[in-house]
Amino acid sequence: MKRLLAAFGVLALTASAAQAETIRILMETVPDTRYIQDLLPQFTAETGIEVEIEAISYIDMHSKLVPQLLAPQGSYDAIVVDFYWVGEFSKAGWLMPLDDLIAQDGVDTGAYVPAMMDLVGKVDDVTLMLPFYNYSMAVIYRTDLIEDPAEQAAFETKYGIPLQVPQTWDEYWKQVEFFTRDNDGDGERDLYGTVIQGQRGDCISMQWSNFLYSQGGQYNDENWNPTLNSPEGVAAMDAYREAVLKYSPPGSESFCFDEAFNVMAQGRAYSFVTFNILYASFEDPESSTVAGKVGITPNPGGGLNGAWGWAIPNSSPDKDAAWTFIKWVESYEIAKARAMAGGAPTQTAIFNDPDVVAARPYYPVLGDILAGAQPFPVFTYTTELVEEMGRELNLAATGEKGSQEALDDAAAAFHKLLVKDGKLEE
Amino acid sequence: MAHAATALARRDRRFGLMLSAPGLAVLLAVVAFPLVFIIFTSFYDYTLLNPTHDTFNGIDNYREALDDAYLPAAIWTTLKFVAASVIIEFIIGMTVALALNSITRFKDFYYLILLAPLLVNPVVVGLLWRMLLHTELGIVNYLLNSFGLPSVNWLGDADTAFWTVVMVDIWHQVSFMAILLLAGLASLPREPYEAARMDGASALSCFIHITLPLMRPVIIVAVLLRLIFALKTFDIIFIMTKGGPGTATDLVSYFIYRAAFFGLDIGRAAAMSVALLVFVIALTTYLYRYMRSLR
Amino acid sequence: MADIQLTGVSKIYGGNVTAVDSIDLEIRDGEFMVLLGPSGCGKSTTLRMISGLEEISGGELRIGGRLMNDVDPADRDLAIVFQNYALYPHMTVGSNLAFGLKLRKVPKPEIEARIRRTADMLGIGELLHRKPRELSGGQQQRVAVGRALVREPVAFLLDEPLSNLDAKLRAAMRTELIKLHHELGTTIVHVTHDQVEAMTMGERICIMRNGKIVQLGAPLEVYRNPVDTFVAGFLASPPMNLIDARLSEAGATVELGAEVSLAIPEGHRAALASHHNKAVVFGIRPEDIYAEPMDGAMAELDVTVVALEALGPETVLISRLPGGKEIATRMGRNFHARVGSAQRLYVDMNAMHAFNPDGGRAIAMLRA
Repeated sequence: MKRLLAAFGVLALTASAAQAETIRILMETVPDTRYIQDLLPQFTAETGIEVEIEAISYIDMHSKLVPQLLAPQGSYDAIVVDFYWVGEFSKAGWLMPLDDLIAQDGVDTGAYVPAMMDLVGKVDDVTLMLPFYNYSMAVIYRTDLIEDPAEQAAFETKYGIPLQVPQTWDEYWKQVEFFTRDNDGDGERDLYGTVIQGQRGDCISMQWSNFLYSQGGQYNDENWNPTLNSPEGVAAMDAYREAVLKYSPPGSESFCFDEAFNVMAQGRAYSFVTFNILYASFEDPESSTVAGKVGITPNPGGGLNGAWGWAIPNSSPDKDAAWTFIKWVESYEIAKARAMAGGAPTQTAIFNDPDVVAARPYYPVLGDILAGAQPFPVFTYTTELVEEMGRELNLAATGEKGSQEALDDAAAAFHKLLVKDGKLEE
Repeated sequence: MAHAATALARRDRRFGLMLSAPGLAVLLAVVAFPLVFIIFTSFYDYTLLNPTHDTFNGIDNYREALDDAYLPAAIWTTLKFVAASVIIEFIIGMTVALALNSITRFKDFYYLILLAPLLVNPVVVGLLWRMLLHTELGIVNYLLNSFGLPSVNWLGDADTAFWTVVMVDIWHQVSFMAILLLAGLASLPREPYEAARMDGASALSCFIHITLPLMRPVIIVAVLLRLIFALKTFDIIFIMTKGGPGTATDLVSYFIYRAAFFGLDIGRAAAMSVALLVFVIALTTYLYRYMRSLR
Repeated sequence: MADIQLTGVSKIYGGNVTAVDSIDLEIRDGEFMVLLGPSGCGKSTTLRMISGLEEISGGELRIGGRLMNDVDPADRDLAIVFQNYALYPHMTVGSNLAFGLKLRKVPKPEIEARIRRTADMLGIGELLHRKPRELSGGQQQRVAVGRALVREPVAFLLDEPLSNLDAKLRAAMRTELIKLHHELGTTIVHVTHDQVEAMTMGERICIMRNGKIVQLGAPLEVYRNPVDTFVAGFLASPPMNLIDARLSEAGATVELGAEVSLAIPEGHRAALASHHNKAVVFGIRPEDIYAEPMDGAMAELDVTVVALEALGPETVLISRLPGGKEIATRMGRNFHARVGSAQRLYVDMNAMHAFNPDGGRAIAMLRA
């Protein structure tokens, strides 16, 4: 009997020792997450650590993360942080500084595009994250329409300028107008110049930012004074409203990027101002009918810079395993594999790696997009700003408020939040 | 003899308490504690960035919440939404219940169809309908077009969006009302209807003079329950419109959510929640008293 | 005022369940007819077919000579009083009474007059503003009757209206209904399973069983000459004693087993000729057995006392025949005997009944 018990004991011990470590990460359901999930077996083989990725849609992430970050010990070992939560998470002190680990393991953060490190790397000189992927926004357009000689001829006749990849806003807007048409004469438009994702909140804020930048506007000056209601802002809003009324499908005031994506992917639109990462999906015959017929180019005036970063929350149950994972996933070899699969890189070298360029010829363009990307105001209350501004923008996009009035109200809300954050005086 | 009986009764009672204690404790923890916490927190400056009860705010949270320029509109929209969806659900539910009450075959099959939407997760309901109602690619507009009708801007036009959300809520919840009313109808006595037949009453007359009065307690319960749930509608707004276009579908529940999870201001969200709770309690008490006065 | 005629009327459910099997019944104008029978005999169904609440599967129904098979219940000019009153719960008593009249567009003054008359007749004048749930059972019942009265129909249909009342109230209502009938003279069809109601209220009773009419006639007639053992056993409580017996060869005596032999009066012997020397079912009512010899054809019977039921006005003696069969006898109120003791009883053989053991029909009508 005693020997039996002893045997059981040994068995139990070895079993628990042999049991794999598991780390859990909360991520968004985007292609870049999928590319990582495909590579996970490699990680487990190398390190013996199992990785459970919980992938949910963007809208649910913030509210799911916050309780886990607040708790003394949360469910997630590592997390990904959207750039505009950075201010909030860092102010709340939820993220573990990585400088010591970086120094100890000799990780070279210089490998990253500097703009990436600024956005999702360092905050006030403390490294809290390693950049994961960027989703800066750009213009995705139909190459077959631009390269068609008949279209080129007609366009030049009408506007007096050649039909080419748009370099300026003025050019782009003329193209948008040109390509909005009723092809079968039934009184309904069949092709739209651009697709608006005007849904109140995050969706409209992201897309409209590009319109603002293309007019030469900015959200705020160096002293944090809001400038979005400048004449440039109003011009941007007017153009946005024009698009809603004339150039975009009806109902786009309530689209978010998946609905808008589908319109473009079904071949019903000429262009779409959106996240660069969607380009790979447009090129995928399984989700798009226009594969091989799309191109991507920087938004005139600069596109919205956006990115996600890897971070270890202070509430992480297993910080060591989390760091092991982050090191692995951002190693050149794995980052390159992700890029080959279609992921959006954040390390400079990958943009120019010959294999990557061969597989993804548009990556140099991505490099340009990234280089010209514009910042979005990141501070403690960015999330709330996006909500309030999103409401005002949507009111203007639906015509319920005038552009100036809506932007004034948005600027006032922005101002109030800046005061709350201590960045501005009353 | 009597002495032993009371001792036994006492022991029984104690045993009963012992058995129900764990359950009661859980109930207390799950219901009472958050309630007390929220009421307590509504008077403090409690944010997710600084989750402490250090700063006593008094009624500042309430005042700040009421100051919000968009709140009155949200309250009005919520009341409109609740009234529209409950009234329409009642009419449809009663019609369905009356119809189901008089059929005898295939009842199980009809129940299944009726209950199916109710069983679907509200988030899924929202996602499903957003897909169906896509103006360009959704099947609803496609069907409309194939009958020669113009497409409808379901979620992009402010007025339409409000009714779209009401419609989706009705699709989701109407069977709840129907089932409750059906249960009530099934328990009605048969004879008054026969007497009415002898008297020569029409179906409408029977409905107004016999069915409705006899059903009054059931109707009140059903409407009350539905009202309370409708006031808390959140998922379909969050999934389908985020309160837009503009502020057309801004409901109070979404307001509270935003304050808590975007604004990170739990104190303010708590204040709004408490106000909503007070309103719901007042409404429930009024309706309950009215119901009792009918006895 | 009208007569009601049913010719070959049947009710068949679901293609094979026959609730009423081709009955012929004539209810005379102004008559108080009672439909009596055990549960499931079809009496209620028959009533409902007359009212129109049930469709007639076969045969003809005529009221006042007119064919009514397909006429809407509301147009037959009948009024029905239900077992559980079926008052409109949310209307006042006054509105309950007026409802049917309003639907028929009777002019308002007429409605008020009728309600007043009815209320006076039934003594419910003070209840007109109350709601049904505020009334006692007896009051609700009277309102139900009132609702029928107000309609001034050609016939009243009463579907076990007294069943839900307690014994005392039932007796009081019985009398009131009889008085009403005298006052109004309207045809009444009254359905009940209570033979006391049938005997006291009906001008004629129609006994039904398994969807058929077994016997139809005035109460006393049916009582004196039941057409079979079922009717014999149904009316009166305690019921007629039915004993398996045998007639002697010449039909002079009836043998109750080996030990008991009762002499049959001359007058009956011929009537029973068909069953001389054969098995019969001997029937004798409890009140026709005495503790002392009376005038008439008395036969002696020795029994053993089993039980005594002292009811007050009389005592019922349950005793056992030598053969083991138990019989009931009505004794005077002062009768007393010890359980288990021997008792000599005297049977009035003029009041005897004889039934065919096969099927139970009376062999002959012995009491003309």
